[in-house]
Order: sequence, then C-alpha cells, then structure tokens
Amino acid sequence: MTPFLTSDRWYDIRDLGNLSSAILEALDKVLPFEVVYILAAVIGFVASFLLFVLPSQLFVGVYGERRLIGRMQSRLGPNRVGPFGLLQPIADAIKLIQKEALTPTQADRAVMYVAPILFVMPAVLLWAVIPFGEHMVIADIPVSLMYFLAVSSLPVIATFMAGWSANNKYSLFGAMRIVSMVISYESPLVLTLLGAVVLTGTISLSGMVAWADEFNIWVVFVQPLALVIYFICVSAELNRTPVDIAEAESEIVAGYLTEYSGMKWGLFYGMDIGYALAASGFITTVFLGGWTFFGLEAWIPGWLIFIAKTYLIYFLFIWTRGTLPRLRADQLMAFAWKFLLPLGVFNLLIVSTERMLWFEQDYAKGLVYVFAAVNIALSAVLVYVWARFNGYRPERTPTRPRLVKQAGGYIPVGERS
Amino acid sequence: MSGVIKSEPFVINIGPQHPSTHGVFRIKATVDGEKVIDAEMVMGYLHRSMEKLAEERTYTQNIPFTDRTDYLSSMSNNLGYCLAVEKLAGIEVPPRGNAIRVIMAELQRLASHCMAVGAFANDTGAWQTPVMWAFREREKILDIFEVTSGARLTCNYMRIGGVAFDLRPEFEPMVRRVLRDFPPFIDEMEGLLSGNEIFIARTKGVGVLTPEMATNASLSGPMLRGSGIAWDIRKADPYCGYEQYDFDIPIGYNGDSYDRFIVRLEEMRQSVRIIQQALDGLPGGPFRTEVPLALRPPKGEAYARIESPRGELGYYLVSDEGPSPYRFHIRPPSFINLSALKEMTVGGTVADAIVVLGSIDIVVGEIDR
Amino acid sequence: MMDGFGPSLAFWVLAAITLVAAGGVMVSRNLLHAVLFLILTFVGVAGFFVLLSADFIAMAQVIIYVGAIAVLVLFAVLLTPRSSRDNSETRWAAPGILLAVCLAAIFLFVVHDTAWRTVDAAPANLSAASLGRALLSTWVVPFEIASVLLTAALVGAIMLTRSPEEEAEDALA
Repeated sequence: MTPFLTSDRWYDIRDLGNLSSAILEALDKVLPFEVVYILAAVIGFVASFLLFVLPSQLFVGVYGERRLIGRMQSRLGPNRVGPFGLLQPIADAIKLIQKEALTPTQADRAVMYVAPILFVMPAVLLWAVIPFGEHMVIADIPVSLMYFLAVSSLPVIATFMAGWSANNKYSLFGAMRIVSMVISYESPLVLTLLGAVVLTGTISLSGMVAWADEFNIWVVFVQPLALVIYFICVSAELNRTPVDIAEAESEIVAGYLTEYSGMKWGLFYGMDIGYALAASGFITTVFLGGWTFFGLEAWIPGWLIFIAKTYLIYFLFIWTRGTLPRLRADQLMAFAWKFLLPLGVFNLLIVSTERMLWFEQDYAKGLVYVFAAVNIALSAVLVYVWARFNGYRPERTPTRPRLVKQAGGYIPVGERS
Repeated sequence: MSGVIKSEPFVINIGPQHPSTHGVFRIKATVDGEKVIDAEMVMGYLHRSMEKLAEERTYTQNIPFTDRTDYLSSMSNNLGYCLAVEKLAGIEVPPRGNAIRVIMAELQRLASHCMAVGAFANDTGAWQTPVMWAFREREKILDIFEVTSGARLTCNYMRIGGVAFDLRPEFEPMVRRVLRDFPPFIDEMEGLLSGNEIFIARTKGVGVLTPEMATNASLSGPMLRGSGIAWDIRKADPYCGYEQYDFDIPIGYNGDSYDRFIVRLEEMRQSVRIIQQALDGLPGGPFRTEVPLALRPPKGEAYARIESPRGELGYYLVSDEGPSPYRFHIRPPSFINLSALKEMTVGGTVADAIVVLGSIDIVVGEIDR
Repeated sequence: MMDGFGPSLAFWVLAAITLVAAGGVMVSRNLLHAVLFLILTFVGVAGFFVLLSADFIAMAQVIIYVGAIAVLVLFAVLLTPRSSRDNSETRWAAPGILLAVCLAAIFLFVVHDTAWRTVDAAPANLSAASLGRALLSTWVVPFEIASVLLTAALVGAIMLTRSPEEEAEDALA
C-alpha cells in the first residue's frame, strides 16, 4: 500500500482492522486474556457478518438471485416487501420458520435432523480465512488455501446425509449423483488451484494477495485456464444450475431436498447462496488479487474492492444459472475426466515450466507479463486443440431443419426435395 | 460376482406429481443406476369422459368440450370438431370465415409451440429463462384471442359454419404487431438454445425415432417431421383453403429430440408466413353461414382431420339424425405420439427420459380426455 | 503445546468426540451410520493435528480422508446391496473381540515402555514449504514409489471393474 493517506488510526475506514485492533487493545487492559481471545473471534465474526453476509443475503439474495434473474427472464421478481423488495429474504425466513418441518415416518430421523446443521457450519467456517482487507482476516493461517479446500469438502457429506436419510428414491438419486460428482470434480479443482499455488509459491491466501500486489498482475491473467476450470468445477460442487444434477428440478424433483420442508429446507437454500458467495470470495482472493486493485486500494477501502469483485464473480454464477441448460450426469463425469482433468494437468505443466524459467531469471518482474501473454494464447489454443482431439465438431450440427414444399414420404438426409 | 459390480434395479415413479410430466401423467420407470431399463406409461388421471358426455349434448354444445381436451390449443380443437360437423352436415363456410379460421389456427400454433419450446427447454434444465421468454410472446397472442373471442385459453370461438364473431377493428394492428415481433423472438430462441453446446449435448441423439418407427407408431406432427418424413395435413389434405398459402414443411435429420425442437421453431416461422398471407388477403363478406341451433345432420359418419400444433387431430362423428352425435371420438395427437415413448426412453438415462417426454410435447387433457 | 486453558479444553473435547465416534463405528448396526461416525473420527483426528501445530497435515487429513476417502466409502456403501440392513450376524464377534484385546494389550505395552521425549519448542519443520522440500529431496524415492504404486492400483481397479461387454466393445474398436 502506498503511504499516502495511510494511517493506522482507528478512524481510518480503509482498513477496519485498525478499528477492531484498537478496541481489542483497549479491552486487553481491563479484561483477562481468555475473554479478549474469544472477543476477538466474536468481533471478527460480527464484523464480517455485518459487512458482508447480511448485505449479501439482502442484496445478492434479492437483487442478484431473484431480481437480476427476473430481468433475464423478462419478469419483475420480488418488489413488494420493504423498499424495492429488499426485505423479501426476511419475509421468506419468517414464513419458513412458521412452516412445519415434516419428517417422513420411514426416514432416518437423527441423520435427517443433523444434515442441515452440518450443512450450515462449513459455510460460516469458510469465511475465517478470506482476507477482506490488509489486516482484515479472522484467522491468517499459513495453509489457508488448504483450509478452504478442506472445509468446502464437508458440505458434501451433509448433502449426502440429507439425500440418504429421507428414504425417498428421488433423494437417493440426488445423493448418489452428488457423491459421484464430487469424486469426479474434486481432482481437476485441486489440480487447477495447484497451478495458482505453483505460480505464486504460497498456499496462504494473504500471501496470494500480496503476490498480486507485488507484481501488479492478477493470477487470472497468468492462469486464465485455471480460473475457467475452477469456476466450472466449483459450480459442479456447489450444485449451481448449469450443473445442478443433484437437485435437478425437472428430473428428480428436488434431489436430496425433496423431503425437506420448513426451516430445514430454508437452511439448505440459504446456505446455497452462502457457499456460492464464499466460492466467489475465494476466486476473488486467489485469481483476482483480493482486496487490491493496482494501487486503487490506497484511496478506496480494500474491503469495498473485495466485495465488488466478489459480487462480480457471483454475477457470473447468476448469469450461467439464468441462461444455460443442465448437463446429464454421465456427460458431466465425462467432461470432468476427459476434458477438465487433462487440461488441468497441461496447465500445471506449463506453469511449472514457467516457474522454473522465472526462478532462473531471479523472479524478474517483467517476465510475468510475458508469461501472461503466452498463457492466454496457449490456453485458447489448448482448449481448442483438446476439444477437437476429443471429437468436438460444432459445424456438423445443422441448427435449421430442411424445408420441403410438398407433402410426401421419408426424405433421406442429403436428398434434395 | 465375477468382478463386475451389479446394482439392483429399482422402480421410480416419474409422476403423477412431478415437475416435468406436464400434468398428471406417470411413467413407471425401472432404473438400473441412472439407466432406464423399462418404462410403463400410466395415464387416466385426468379422464373426464368427454366422448361419452358429448353424446348427450347438441352439436353446438359440444364445442366447449373440445376447448378442454388440448387446452393449450383450443382454437385448433374447435376447428377440427367444426370441420367434422360441417362435413357430416354438408355445410359450406364463407371465404372470410375460412381465412379467419386459418389466422386463428396459426396463431394458436404459435402460442402452443411457444409453450412446447419453452417447456422443453425447461426440461433440459434451462432454468425458466426460455419458458419465460416464450410466455412473454404467448401473452400477446392470448391478448388477441381475448379481444376476438372473449377468452384467452378456452376460446370457444369456432362455430359450425364459420366463427362466432367477426373480427374487431383492433384485431389487425395487434396481429401485425405479433407478426413483427415474432421472427426476432424465434431468432432469439435459436440464439439461446439451438447453438448452445449443452443443449445440443442434451438433446442430440436422445430419443431417436427412425422413420420406420415413426410411421409404424402412426405418429404425426413435429414428431413425424423430426424423423425426416414430409407429412403435413395442411399440404396433404388441405382444409380451410390452406392450398392458397405458400409455406414449407420443415423436416429433421435423425429424428432425435433436437430435430423435433428445431422443427417446431421453423414451424413457427412458417406460421408467421401463413398469417401474413391470410391477413393481407382477408376477404370481406359474411364470416359464418347461418346454421340451425339444433342441428340434425343426416344419417352417416364423418372424419375430419387438421394439423394441430401436436399433429394430426381427428374428429370422428356418427349421426343418427338426432340433435346430438351418436358417437363422438377424438384422435388426439398427443396420445398417439406418446405410444412411442417407451421405445425412446428405454436404454437412456432418467434425464434423457425427461427430455424425450418434453420433446413429445404432450397435453394431458388431450391424452385422457 | 498443551499448556493453557484453551488447548487443554480442546484436547479433551476432541478426545471425547474421537473416541465416542470411534465407538460408534463399532457399535452402530447401520452401515451408513458407521461411515458417518468414521467421518467424525477423521475430523477429530484432524483436530489433534491442529493442536500439534501441524496445520498442513490437519488440512490434508480433512481433504483426503473426509473429502475423498469417506466419500468413496459412501459410494461403495451405496453400491452394496442391502447396505442398510441390520448387521446382526455375530459370527465374527468373538474372534474380533479377541483380536481387539490382543492389539490393545500390545499398544498399552508399547506406550508404557517407550521413553517419551518432551519438546518445549515448537517443531520447526512443519510448514508446507519444508514438507515439500523434504518430500522431493530426502524422501523422493519412497514418494515416487508410492505414486507409482497408486497409479498401478488405479489402472488395476479400472481393469477389474470393466464388464465383459466393454472388453468386447474395445476389442472391436
């Protein structure tokens, strides 16, 4: 950060970490250490909740997920509750709490009861390692990227429990699908993140942001393919619509959520947004330079930049949800194994080579821009070549039917009428 | 076990209450993992005994029944029934009546195909966007129906010998607006879905119907044309003066779900062409020949067929010179088209079965009657 | 590492969770419940790693055991016919108990007889970078052997699960 205007006074809102550390220091003088220790966590949680989760649920939950998709679908979306319909999620929550949470008689009651709780916990835990600003991270652990991956693999168990315990065939279908999806998509996901890790040489999220700040380039420019693959994989893991086969509404009713009702269902639904937001925040931190914006963060609070970028990525989730049809389960599997995984390996190979070259050049600053240009071109070529290699021929699909003037019998393809 | 993982097949009910069965229809599918190994169709949940009820009512009173068979294309159903009665009683329809009928039937085809295309896209998982876009356009057509007949869905507009009312002055500008808006909308749908990789992957090669299968199951409409058979009642056995209009029959390549989809889109284009011609050459004169209210057609039988949005819609009437038909039978295109469902779904996955069902474009009111 | 109120509390809570979950794996009659308890055990063990300042290993434990292996086990259970049956066949109970007692005796013996060294300073070489360096320099041969073994296992698994029909298809192609 540039020294201009920067201070570590508590009133400097560009870094809210100053405020919280001022509070904690003052408290440290009067309270025992254990209490301050717990208070620090509470302050961090409350701050990130007030700053991010609550506005996100209101703005993203309504304006993104519903109003924006409403615009895409040429309808209005919720606009009655509160100003501009902003209080709709609160009204929904009240409605859901009032509703009876039914449990089928043949269900595994304990597992069905625990599943939504287990689903919510990781969504909250994920935010602990995401840096909102320079000092604004609740737990700045050195392996935060691994932490994020570890915690984000937990909700799968919860969704599986939900699907299996309901004793409903549709739910079981959903559970089976989500488990097989996770097996397939976990490997390309980790492989692509490995690309970013090799490039930046750190598995700390703060370290990655610092890398982007130091070299004045975002990881996405050097690793464009990694972002694309990661985005697809994370959509698959989060059950977002183009690949939401675990709760495919038109096929298996609501998948693992079929038998859930009331607030138990509401927890799953609300945390879907939570996970997508966390994934957006993670993409922002790893690929888009986190809270930095090429020096702009000296004037604009870093956390605002972070939130803006996160919403931008979240918009991509909404956009794909609003436009794309859903793939079939076996197609998704094939896509992960035949397409994403090899591309991830190629990407890792390329970035490792570059890292070697870079190391030999003593981490020259200019070289990373060369890598960026090379990688963008290489990614495009790689995707094209690999797609052709796998037998992708778009020109063989005519999008208009043949036209004939006279009614008659069967007209074989290729015959003029 | 011989080293092969065997899973137990189990039965899954798709329907009668399922988001993708378009009503109360049920497929009892036996699945092995994701693969469908047997499919049994269960229908009759919406049976209202229309054919028997119609034997107790006069010929004119039966027209509202036909609204409620294929409730997504009531105009076409009215038309088919009226044509059958006219054939039975030997009634001529004035040219203006015929032209209005053609315009209405084609508008109904547009509205129905909007629904078919949108719901089909919904079944492939395109979450509501295509169906909402299609509904937006369908609304405009339903507005026209409302202005003309007073009802949006169950129009009850055709009468024996013509149509119920003459066109209102605002009819023509409204139709012109639809004609202006529709081709861009079809292009929009094409841009959203026809070239979409995921959509192609989901529908191409899914539910393939060979020409032999299609003809053996006596399919009709877009199902038959999707398999590459150039068959259209409007061309093969013209009614209401369809022979005067210039239009083409779109036919598909392999008979898969994708072909049925693009055939429907192209049929919408052709319908716009027909409406354009019919509206430009709309003759004056009476819109209906006067027919006695208690019509008693001579003894005999008649079968009239039209190309409804879903295929060959036939009405078979037998008269015993009484005021109500002795026998009233409908040949519903959805019902006959559905007979190929098992052949198309077995061997595919559950997701494919949904897509195939969507591509048939069933209306349960018509299947169960 | 174990001084202070927080870490000791965490230790006892984690110990209770891990042990109860491990007991649940044994006792529960429902195979799915056993797997879920197993997952809880894995998470508890990961917690111990965190307590020992081995962050990287803790995260790897969660990713690999909870995220991958447990999910695979769940998958296997789903593919097993009658997986949720009442597992009341007790033919193996007596030998199982005998084996468990023997193992416990050996463990207790080893634990009791080992001269445990206590280290005051935090272990220095547990960061991810040093782990990676160790894996790719000192321990590179075992590392590579393990990866070759895993690849062989992967190929073998695919070969084993192929159905005769698929073999025939490939032979034609």
